[in-house]
Amino acid sequence: MKTIALAVAAAFAAAAYTGSDALAQEKTVRISGFGAKTGVIRLFGINSEAAMLAAAEVINKQGGVTLADGSKAKIVVDFLDDRCNAEEGISVIRRIYGSDAVVAVGPTCSNVAEPLYGILQKRVDDKGDSGLQMPVFTDVAIKGGLAKISEWSFRNVPSEWTMYSSLYYWLKAKHPNLKTVYGGVEEDFAHSRASWYAVMKDRALANGYEVMGESKWLLNDSNFSTQVREMKKANADILSVAAHPFTTCGLLKEMKRQGYKPKLLVGLTSTSSMEVMQGCPKDVEGMIIPTSYAPVNKEAKFAADQTAKYKGSADLHSMAAWENMFILKQVMESERISGDKSQLQADRRKIRDGLAKLKETKGLLGVTKRTEDREADKPYLFVQAQKGEWKVLHNPL
Amino acid sequence: MLDFLQVVVDGLLFGATYALIGIGFTLVFGVMHKINMSYAAASIGGAYLGLLVLKVMAGAPAWLVFLCGFLGGGALGYVVYLACFHFIPYSSPLATLMSTVGMLLLIDEIIVHATEGRPLNYPAMFDDVMLRAGEFSLRGDLLLVFGVSVACMAGLLILLYRTKLGLATRAVSQQPTAAQLCGIRIARVNAVTFVITGLLGGIAGALIGASVGTLSPLLTLPLTVKGLIVTVIGGLGNVPGAIIAGLLVGAFENVFQLWRGVTERDLYVMLLLFVFLVFRPGGLFSKS
Amino acid sequence: MDFYYGMAQLIGVHTLLGLSAYIVLLTGQVSMAQAAFFAIGAYTAGMLTVLAGWHIVPALGASSILGAASACAVGFPALRVKGLMLVIATLAFGEGVRLFFFNFDYQIAKGNIKVGPLGGEGFRQIRFFPENGWTTFDVMLFIWVFALLAMAVLWWFDRSRYGAVLRAVGEDELAAQSVGVNLTAVKVSAMTVGGAIAGVGGGLYAHYTTHIEHSSFNVLVATFAIAYPIVGGLSNVFGTLAAVIFVQAFLVEGLRDLGDWRNLLFGALIVLAMNLRPHGLFGRRHA
Repeated sequence: MKTIALAVAAAFAAAAYTGSDALAQEKTVRISGFGAKTGVIRLFGINSEAAMLAAAEVINKQGGVTLADGSKAKIVVDFLDDRCNAEEGISVIRRIYGSDAVVAVGPTCSNVAEPLYGILQKRVDDKGDSGLQMPVFTDVAIKGGLAKISEWSFRNVPSEWTMYSSLYYWLKAKHPNLKTVYGGVEEDFAHSRASWYAVMKDRALANGYEVMGESKWLLNDSNFSTQVREMKKANADILSVAAHPFTTCGLLKEMKRQGYKPKLLVGLTSTSSMEVMQGCPKDVEGMIIPTSYAPVNKEAKFAADQTAKYKGSADLHSMAAWENMFILKQVMESERISGDKSQLQADRRKIRDGLAKLKETKGLLGVTKRTEDREADKPYLFVQAQKGEWKVLHNPL
Repeated sequence: MLDFLQVVVDGLLFGATYALIGIGFTLVFGVMHKINMSYAAASIGGAYLGLLVLKVMAGAPAWLVFLCGFLGGGALGYVVYLACFHFIPYSSPLATLMSTVGMLLLIDEIIVHATEGRPLNYPAMFDDVMLRAGEFSLRGDLLLVFGVSVACMAGLLILLYRTKLGLATRAVSQQPTAAQLCGIRIARVNAVTFVITGLLGGIAGALIGASVGTLSPLLTLPLTVKGLIVTVIGGLGNVPGAIIAGLLVGAFENVFQLWRGVTERDLYVMLLLFVFLVFRPGGLFSKS
Repeated sequence: MDFYYGMAQLIGVHTLLGLSAYIVLLTGQVSMAQAAFFAIGAYTAGMLTVLAGWHIVPALGASSILGAASACAVGFPALRVKGLMLVIATLAFGEGVRLFFFNFDYQIAKGNIKVGPLGGEGFRQIRFFPENGWTTFDVMLFIWVFALLAMAVLWWFDRSRYGAVLRAVGEDELAAQSVGVNLTAVKVSAMTVGGAIAGVGGGLYAHYTTHIEHSSFNVLVATFAIAYPIVGGLSNVFGTLAAVIFVQAFLVEGLRDLGDWRNLLFGALIVLAMNLRPHGLFGRRHA
């Protein structure tokens, strides 16, 4: 019995941490980040947190956020781990709601985003809807069409539809001799699956390619012999793979074993990261991927350097978090939030309204357009795996 | 027809990896009569330990990495024994089960921490060797895995039936109390069994890493499930059974995939298991 | 306060999951299939409220019945396998059910969008609670009505002859049989009750997360289901509740501020707990 009492006491004591700020002297505004900081995808959370902390430092050095009464407040960032688990994501957002954070940035995983958006109030001012009223500005979860689930959810993720449309168009022009496309898809990962069927396949067809079919596997498969044989038989010019680093590497190694090399390799947006370079640097050589980040200009390089100070690396996901921080600062100032803890809910509503009003935002690669259903249309470029690094292949900007 | 045969052969060859991990699983169940849910995790952990060689000596040959994996697995085996079996009383099988689950989570998490979740390139031997026989091709590295499984089986059988340690192990497995009365130290025998299965697991993990080409904690759960299935089909404690069962599961898996696609494949593997449970609960070579 | 209500909701649903495994464990059967009945309950309740417009209460009733029915169907073949084999068989069944839902498409058009389970993409927008204005507090109370009901029923079993018979079968089947206990009836009925509880739990899970997919019911969930009663001890239902609080409130939430270390401590603390208290937090029942 004693053990239980102790456990329960410890549990609620620990869970009562609402992240209240020790320095009550300065005015502060809290932005809470959340995402996967543990598990196989922990790098995403680590990088997003680093980007957010770095951006906050830059904003604070420049004076911070100007509140409605003219005073300045410093931005305080904390980051919670949801372990890429839906139930935890919901717990985390409730925790953030119960804290003094004015907005939440996250999550990492699309399978957390969907249930999470689902518990938010669907339409603002709908008195009959008891959903949570917390603005969520997503940096990473990239599965298509999620933000329209709730009027409190916003995303700053690239539109794969736009990017692959442009990529296939460009490939058609640059390599007119390549006419056929074959796909490889992780069937049990929502993002990969949607990206092949609804995006890559659709866009390839739209650009005049003949899609000869696709080979499927599951996200922790390790035997690709049958799939590669199918690919060999189809012998398409372009192989378009919608999968994450582990299975992509497994597939590429099997291709090498069976001596199959397509004329061109196209990959999934999330594969344009360091993980693939650590897993199979030689095999991925030549793969082309569209992405919404590369250190091609001063701001982009600056963002990468600042994030590196907090031990994070810059890629399309973490740089979205960086951009989010600056967009939120702008919204906070244009909507004149009070920064007053007693008007927290009003401030949250102001931020939501501000985000909804935006028609365009400033991104690291250029101007990002905001769409009607609270998504982003980000500028992008194409990178290619060359000698263990992702080098810019073509910059449409 | 030729396609079908190639698919079967591909599956059989990949099944060699299941065979290798199945040997260790079946040995633990057969000897200790307890489930060690962390076995596959410890094997993969051993494989990761093998990679430490590359940190010390950058261009180390593959076999050295495998050797290090072998030894790492043995060390992990002893750790698992201490954490999950040594202190927990025999009369609490549930506690042992749960502690091995906790161990599985712990090992997985340590791996993720140390590698930041990134998949790591694994050196391979003979991975560029493809034996061709007309239209067919056979993966050379998987033939090596099969060879190692057979060698392990031979080694184990010699150990179990021709050495004093093996005699003691079999005695403890059959009648622990009587064995104790004969002066056999149960704790020591159990510890050694775990080290031996750990060594097996280490080499299994290393070779699986080599055949997949990249090592990732994502490998752990599917290997655990496959290992359990192979153990049941092969018969608990039956080492040659585990090898045949591993090959069979690999072949059937590929055939199911060809026939019904990748999303339904595992469903049929489960059904295969049920068929065995209903009609041949003692495994492939059971007398019933 | 919303956060605490949310936590209480989570603890309630997980308690139902744990209790479904608890009653089966009493009879000595380690069932890794509880997550499967949980899944069946989740999809059933979700489909009834979203596709057929039912109220949540009859929907939960239906998921309880379906959970019980499928558990009963599993209970009979489960009699043929013992010990380790049962664990593996139920694990395989659980995976089979998960894979079934992975391939399960059933969508109908509501207005201009399609709703319903869509195979690998899952079943989204199960919004009965928010659409009907239930607050976090309301949902919490609702979930706890069922959790307390389940606890009360199992507590009552424990104090009745049925409970004694269950534990007798769990301790020594041969001895129980020799005093005239019908093993089949006992084991299958325990499995059925477990399935009914899991069904309700699953139905509640679907509604408070609003989005379910096949991977929400994987081996890990099945493992948690048996972990709760094992860590809590089989002496009474409060053990399972204590274990759920220990794992979810303390290990998962309470340690959240330890960041990276939380996951490491998770596995380590479970190993430690089992070594220190092998019969669970609440220990074994002493005759």
